[in-house]
Formats: sequence, structure tokens, C-alpha cells
Amino acid sequence: MSLDNLISNWSKLRVRRPQLDQYKDAPYKWAMVIDLDSCTGCNACTTACYAENNLPVVGKKRFLEGQVMHWLRIECYWGEGEESTQEFPEQGAAFLPMMCQQCESAPCEIVCPVGATHHTPDGLNSQVYNRCIGSRYCSANCPYKVRYFNWYNYPESAWPSPLELQLSPDVTVRSKGVMEKCTFCVQRLTEAKSKARTEKRNVQDGEVVTACAQACPTSAIHFGNIADSSSTVAKMWKAQQVELSADKQKKDMKHEKMSAAGEAAGTGAGAASVGAEKLRGYRVFEELRTYPSVVYLERIRSTEV
Amino acid sequence: MTRIGMTANGARSGVNRRDFLNLVGLGGTASVLGGCGNTSIESGVELVQSYVQPESFVVPGVGVYYASTCTQCGSACGIMGKVREGRILKLEGNPQSAISGGKICGLGQAGIQGHYSPDRLKTPMLKENGVFKITTWEKAMSLLSATASFADHGARRVVLTGPTSGHLQILLKAMPQSGAATDYVVYDALSTAVEASVNLKMFGVDQTVGLIDKAGLVLSFGNDFLGAGDSPVAAARQYARFRKGARRGILVQVEPKMTLTGANADRWVVIAPGTEGVLALGLVRELLQRKEFANNLSPSLSAAVEPYSHAEVSHITGVRGDLIPRIAAMLWEHSPSLVLAGRYPQGHAHGSHNMAAIALLNVVLQNQGKTLWRAAELPFPQMAPALGNFKGLAELNTQMGAGEVRSLLIYGTNPVYSTPDFMRFADNLQKVPFKAAWVTELDETAMHCDLVLPLMSPLEDFGTHVAARQSDGMEISIQQPLMEKLHAETRSFGDSLLELLKQAKPESYKSFPDYYAYLKSGVVNAKPAFDPKVEDEEFWENALSAGVLRRPATLLPLPAIEFNVDLVRQPSLSAAEGVASGEAAYPFSLIPAVRPSMRDGRPANLSWLQESPDPLTTVVWDSWAELHPSTAKQLQINEGDVLVIKSAQGSIRAKAYLIPGIHPGSVAVPIGQGHESYGRYATNVGVNPLKILDPIFDQETGELALYATRVAISKTDQNERFTKDEGATNLQQGRKLVATLAADQVDLAKETPFVIR
Repeated sequence: MSLDNLISNWSKLRVRRPQLDQYKDAPYKWAMVIDLDSCTGCNACTTACYAENNLPVVGKKRFLEGQVMHWLRIECYWGEGEESTQEFPEQGAAFLPMMCQQCESAPCEIVCPVGATHHTPDGLNSQVYNRCIGSRYCSANCPYKVRYFNWYNYPESAWPSPLELQLSPDVTVRSKGVMEKCTFCVQRLTEAKSKARTEKRNVQDGEVVTACAQACPTSAIHFGNIADSSSTVAKMWKAQQVELSADKQKKDMKHEKMSAAGEAAGTGAGAASVGAEKLRGYRVFEELRTYPSVVYLERIRSTEV
Repeated sequence: MTRIGMTANGARSGVNRRDFLNLVGLGGTASVLGGCGNTSIESGVELVQSYVQPESFVVPGVGVYYASTCTQCGSACGIMGKVREGRILKLEGNPQSAISGGKICGLGQAGIQGHYSPDRLKTPMLKENGVFKITTWEKAMSLLSATASFADHGARRVVLTGPTSGHLQILLKAMPQSGAATDYVVYDALSTAVEASVNLKMFGVDQTVGLIDKAGLVLSFGNDFLGAGDSPVAAARQYARFRKGARRGILVQVEPKMTLTGANADRWVVIAPGTEGVLALGLVRELLQRKEFANNLSPSLSAAVEPYSHAEVSHITGVRGDLIPRIAAMLWEHSPSLVLAGRYPQGHAHGSHNMAAIALLNVVLQNQGKTLWRAAELPFPQMAPALGNFKGLAELNTQMGAGEVRSLLIYGTNPVYSTPDFMRFADNLQKVPFKAAWVTELDETAMHCDLVLPLMSPLEDFGTHVAARQSDGMEISIQQPLMEKLHAETRSFGDSLLELLKQAKPESYKSFPDYYAYLKSGVVNAKPAFDPKVEDEEFWENALSAGVLRRPATLLPLPAIEFNVDLVRQPSLSAAEGVASGEAAYPFSLIPAVRPSMRDGRPANLSWLQESPDPLTTVVWDSWAELHPSTAKQLQINEGDVLVIKSAQGSIRAKAYLIPGIHPGSVAVPIGQGHESYGRYATNVGVNPLKILDPIFDQETGELALYATRVAISKTDQNERFTKDEGATNLQQGRKLVATLAADQVDLAKETPFVIR
């Protein structure tokens, strides 16, 4: 490979994202919607992830060192501000399933010195295990802290015989020194795409879901292809007015403007006084301009009691 | 899809064609590979690939799904096993099951780890001079047969199991009937027998069916239906519909320590442990003041609730006075409502009275026939689940202590772990001359037995299961092997039972060569109730393929029963003061909390669940003591301080975790850890709070009161870091991580229709 070739490939890899209408003519752009009003925090999804993706159990000592390998975790919050204001959590706990957000402008991708993490044509933030040299820059740069490093050679210790028989042959068992993270169950996507290609068609809505979405007892996790405007997930993104390539959503700007106007008019109560019904969709840390592929729907609580 | 090709006990006879070819292939390949650096057959083993036609169920490189039933709890969820190259890789929900609807919980998925566990018991073992020595099934069965045929007047030969249902349950019931045993005891450490007894008195049936998705408001007194309830997947699916209905359902949860369900409530209300019944009567009194409800109770009941004014109720329960009329008003405004009761209110000396007072709310609100029903009649009542209780075990314990028990056969339960120290169960067990346990791994109870027998895993065995409460039709769940058995010497419990029954009553059982044959004949006999037109063999194949036998069934109305006023009466204030006198020495209530993934401790050997963070504390691989921050401040306790929690019966040590979701007068320690023997993942992890429970029992039923123990807390000078998932803070600190909207700010009807399965 000549130097010219290398540089030109590098530039292609490092293209600025997101581009406008990037997925307009693309067959696939995988994305998610997680309804926090349905999520009960039960951990069915996280266990499904262990089962599907050959995640190693690290044990107490390594967990204590922060070396847990769960690609998907449920975060639990007890208050929105700096301090707990209520004596008792009257509105319960707030759960947040957090996994790789498959950012369109992923902070991890630009710092990888070897291009081990890069963007795939179907919008995934991929991780190439045999290219990874373990610099861990990507993990340091990830605002969601969803990248997990193999500090140990887990195939040696995590599946004492015959536990190794449960390992899925469709998923690489990672060895020491490489970074890993949620792939949106890329092995399922590959299989579905391959099947569709054989049948000379595109993957249909609902034909493939991630292991977490499949397990979720309340159907809080929705997965699909937003390049296909007829898919459920594409409709949900649209209904929630969340634009993939925007770092600030129009609906939020409008809402801010209205509440500012409300305050200026002296009604005092700010956003709450606007009265307009709000859309629930938002992306976590959108302001960091990561352009995540996961939309969360706000949790709802009745305030009647 | 057909049954995986194997005999019922999974054994292969001799060398078959495939094995032979494998053997030939191995030799041939090894000689070729000699030149590639492999110098012996062994070093080339992993490179050997067989190109001969594999068995019909193996498609190389393609996952095949087989239906079965999850046995991790009693919900009888239909599951699908993903099988590749003859080994099971993953468990998923079976969409044909009305219980699971294609969904599955974490506990269910971890079932595969029990199957592949490195600590499985692989051979029968017999204790000689206190040490287990490997023995044969022939020797073991001859010992069991001798026991079964032992006839001595007055000597008991007891079969003790955990909750079971289906055909196994029929065989178990037949044990005393046939004379192969004298007694059959079903024990459940987390039993809801108090609730069943109250239901029977008030509604004439032991199990009521609450339809969460048909309610506008659910008022739950500590019922953890989303977490450690009796069918969490089915309940979660109902809950999703409840939240996404035309009018979003509202959940109000009242409990002394937050459960997973409480964490999802619109309004979580903390209450002093054991005072749930008082609040319920306060709400009844409030409702009776409305003309719509005024005549819904008999005059004697109306009079009985009269003393429960806001002020009085608020004083006793600690619930804010203004909340009581507010909740009462909402029960009315959001009709139909559903009032549920869980484990917390039943776990007291007046547990039955608590439960009855809560059930009275449903009566006043006339929820029967709207959100509260009785299940349809099972076409085969003999298959109904035996749910188990504590009282039966307590009686057995007394008999063992008195030397009356000659032999004890144990399956599916671990009482040496789950019974409190005051019962001295392990000591009494030693007085039984012959004790045998069927287990997949050596647990504490098995370690105390004379004979241990290796079970096939639930993923290797056949079975039928029936759920206790079914709200959507009537379903018999079919369990079938998802792969050949891993360990040659393991057997099905059904086969052992059948062998003992054949000996006791040959004429009834001799036509069944094994449990598989018995089960198949039983299922085929059920054909007229499901699909009378097909041939027997086709019916059986269809049942295995679908994993369920289903028929439509309508829920039945609950009969109205006149019950005694005394049933709902709460302990008088003076009695409450009697409790207070003991408060000086033991100022806190102990709450042994039931974790959704750990239940009664049986799943503790599954490493996925050990590493799956507790939803509220995010702690893994440990036990902990939950305290309210205000209590901790008062006692100068910080997170991680090692506490000694002492009851009149003994003490345990656990690290303090500060959490706002608990009554300040309580300390909660989760159940499930503290195993002394149960494989590498469970042993020496945390502590078992059940051990220090006080001997307090529900007065009506004799069930152990789980939440009535008083404890003292003292701080040691040790502090240990928590192994937990959360970071330095569990507050959002102004970041928009989990945003919350008030229900009136959003119109769900305008959102894309939700796909809820």
C-alpha cells in the first residue's frame, strides 16, 4: 500500500460527520428509541446482553477496580439537581439504560490512532478487535463511558468448563488488550442483511432487533432502521421531532423561546407556564455534538397524588 | 420442529454410527495433521471436523430454536432455546406463550448458567463416616427402595419439595397415596400462604387474579409485581399496557422499603412496617363517607373502621395526614382501581389482619368483576401448582426433632439455608436416619444428607408446568430438553419418583417405562381439552413444538362472602405499645428484602445474576444493609461502615448503604446471599438475614412473619468500599440524563402507537 493510498483511505475514514442527508439514499441507518416511562429497571436487557455477546463475568475484585464489562447498564438516579431535596423519593427512582449511543460524530472515533473504531455505512460505530492496540484513548474520550477494556485474558478465567459451551460462535470472544462495547448486536444485523440480500430485498421493519429489545418485558426498547421512513423507529423519531444531524432540536429552541417569553411577560412559572404539551424525545448529551443514534423518551409521573 | 432425538433419560446406548465415524475421522485427520505441527491425536483434537451428516436437529452454522418452559420461578413462562451444533446458547421468550409473550427476565435467561455450571453434581454420592463417596444409581435406588418399603407404625417417611406443578406434582401427591411415603410437604421460604388464606376467607378462592392493565389506578401495598412477584414478566407486560392505555394508569405504592415496583410508582409512600392494615382501614373509612360507597359494607364492618380517623392513622403509620383523603379521592376518581398487597403486609404477627384490611378496600371499591377476578377452572385440577408454605415445614421440623421421621427425600428446596436459626433445622435433620436430596449442585441441605443424587438440568429434562394465576386463557407449559445431557450420570427427578411408585403400586405405574413415557401419556390424555381432532403422536409433537397447550378461558367473578369483622381488626394501640416496650433493646425493624434476581437464594450460584447490579443500590457480589440517610446521620454511620445487626436470635455483619427509599426506623438486608455451600459463585458471598429472624408467626395461619423481627445496629470500626455500579454520585447534577415530565404535560395518544407484546 502506497503512502498516497494510505492517506486517501485515512481521509475517507475521517470524514466529517454528520453530513446533511447522509442516509438519504442509504438502505440502513440503525437507531433506537428507549421509552423511560416503560423502563422499569429490571435488568432483563443487561442479562440478555451478557448472553448474546459473550460478555465475561469479571468477579467482585475486578468489578471493584472498575473493570466490569457490561456493554449495557442501568443507571439509577435519585434526584435531578446537585443535592437530594426530598426526605423520601416520592416519585420513585429514575432508571437510564445506557449503552454505546452509536454517535454520528463519535468522540471515540477521532482519537483512535489506528482506526480500530470507525463508522460503518449503516451508521454503526464499529470496533475492530484485531486492529485495536489498546491505547484506550477512545474510552477516555467517550462522554457516555460505555467502552470497556479487556485488562485480562477472560477466555482463560471467565468460563470455567463447561461454561464455555454457552459462548455464541457468532460473536468473537475478546482477548486481553482490546477495547469493546455495544455493537447494536451487529451479528444479528449482519445475518438479517445477508438473508435479505439473498432474497434481493432490504431488511424489513421488525425483522431484526437487538437482544436487549427482544428481552425487554415492557417493550421499552425499540430498534430499527431510520433510513426506512416507514419503520416504527423512524416514525417515532419523526413524531418526537428529533433530527439525527441536529445538535439542538428545533422543538427545544421553540420551547425555550416560549418559556423565555412567558418569563418576560411576568407569568413567573417559566417553562411550566407555557402550557403546550411537550414531546418526550431527547438525546443524552446532545449539546456535546455527538449526534447519538439513541433517542430517549422522558419518564412520566402523575403529580396528582 | 420436533423433539430432539434422544431417549427420555438422554442416555445413548453403545457406539452409534456417528460416534464411530467421529472416531475414524479423528484417526485419519490426526495422521494428516502430523505434518502441521500436531504430533499426537490430542493436540489435533480441536482441529478435527466431522464432515459426515450430523443428526437431524443439527444444522451447522445455523441456530435452531426449540420451545420449552422456564423453571427459574413458578411463573411457567414459555421460552425458546437457541441451539447450535447440538448445544444450547441462549434462552429467549416464546411468543406463543401468553405468560411470557416472547419476553424473558434476567433470572430466566441465567437458567443456562445453571445448566453449564462448572459445579454441577455429576454422580450419586453416599456419605460414609461423614464424607461423601461416589456411588452408583443402582446402589442409590436400592437404598431408596428399602426406605420406601420400610413400614413401621408411627415412623414417618416424608417427601419434602419446593413448589411444583404439572405431572411431577401428580407423582409427588401419589407418593403418600401409594404408600411410598407417609407425608408430602411443600415448603416455600417466600410463601404467600397468608394471602391465600385471607383470599379463601374473603373471596372463597385462594388465588385472585388482578388485572393491572384494566385499572385506572393501582394502589399497591408492597406488592413487587414488577420485580420479585409471582409472575414478573406477565405483570410487566400488563404494566406496559397500563401505562400506555387511553388514559395512563397511575401507580401508588405504599411500603416500608422501596421495591423495584415502588421505584416505578407515580407516588411512593413510606409507611411504618406492619401498619399497612391501619392505612387500609383509614382509606375505607374515608371512602365510606362518599354516598357512592356508603352502603358497600355491612353495618358491623362500617362500625369497625370508624376509629380510623386521619389523625389516628397518620399517627400510627407515619403517612402524612393530607395524603389519606387524597389517595381515597383518587381511588374514586380513577375508577376502576385495583388494590394489591404483597409480602410486606403479610410478614407480621397480624399479617392476616393486614391482608384482610387491604382486601376490604377492593370490596368497598367494588373492584370484583372489574379488575379483580378468579382464574378460570383448570381442566386438569390435579396439575394445579402446590405453592408451599412455612407451617408444613415447621411441623416436619418438630417431628424430626422428636425422632419421628424415619426418612426424608428432598427436592427443589434448601431449608438448611432458608430457615431461621431458632428452628435448628440442620440439627433436627441429623436426627433423621436416612435423608436423600436430588440436586444439580451441592447446596447446604444436600451437604447434610446421607445420599445425594445428581439431577439433569431443567434444560435437559421433560416436564409440564401450570402457573398459579393466569389472566389470559389457560395454558399448560411444556418443558423439553434443549440439548443432550452434559453429564452421563444425571437423571430426571421424575424417573426416580416413578421407580419408587412402581415398587409401591406396580399395577398403576408398570406401563410406563420411564418418566418421559408417563409425561407423554399424560399430555396426550389431555388432548380432548385442547385439540381433539389430531392424532396422538401429532398432538404430542405439536405440544413440544409450540411449548404450550393453550385454550381460551374466561375469568370468573369472585363470589361475595360474608366474613367475620374480626378478620380486618388491627392490633389495638395498647398492643402497639407492647411492641414499643421491646424497642429499647432492639430499636429497628429488620426487613429481609426479596431481590428479583435472588429470590430465596436459589439463583445465587449463577454468576450473571451475582454480577447484575441490584436495581436500586447497584451493588454486586455482596450483601448490604440499607439505612435511611437521616438514621445514618443520627448514628454517625457512613456508606461502607461495617455494621453488626443483632436480633434476639443472633447477629450478621453487613456494610451500610444509605438510601432514601426506606422507613427511617428500619434496616433492610437482601435475601439470597450468605451461602456456605452452593458452588463457587455463591459460597462466601455476603450474609443471610433469614438466619436471625425472631420466632414470630402470623396468628391465623402459623406462617413465619418475615418482617416482624426487631434488631439493634452497632457500628464497627471497619469501613469497606462497595462493589457497585454507580459512580461518585447518584444525582443527575443538572444534567439531562433521565428527564421527567408531569403526566398532564404530555399527550400519549399523539405519540406513535406503541408496540407492546
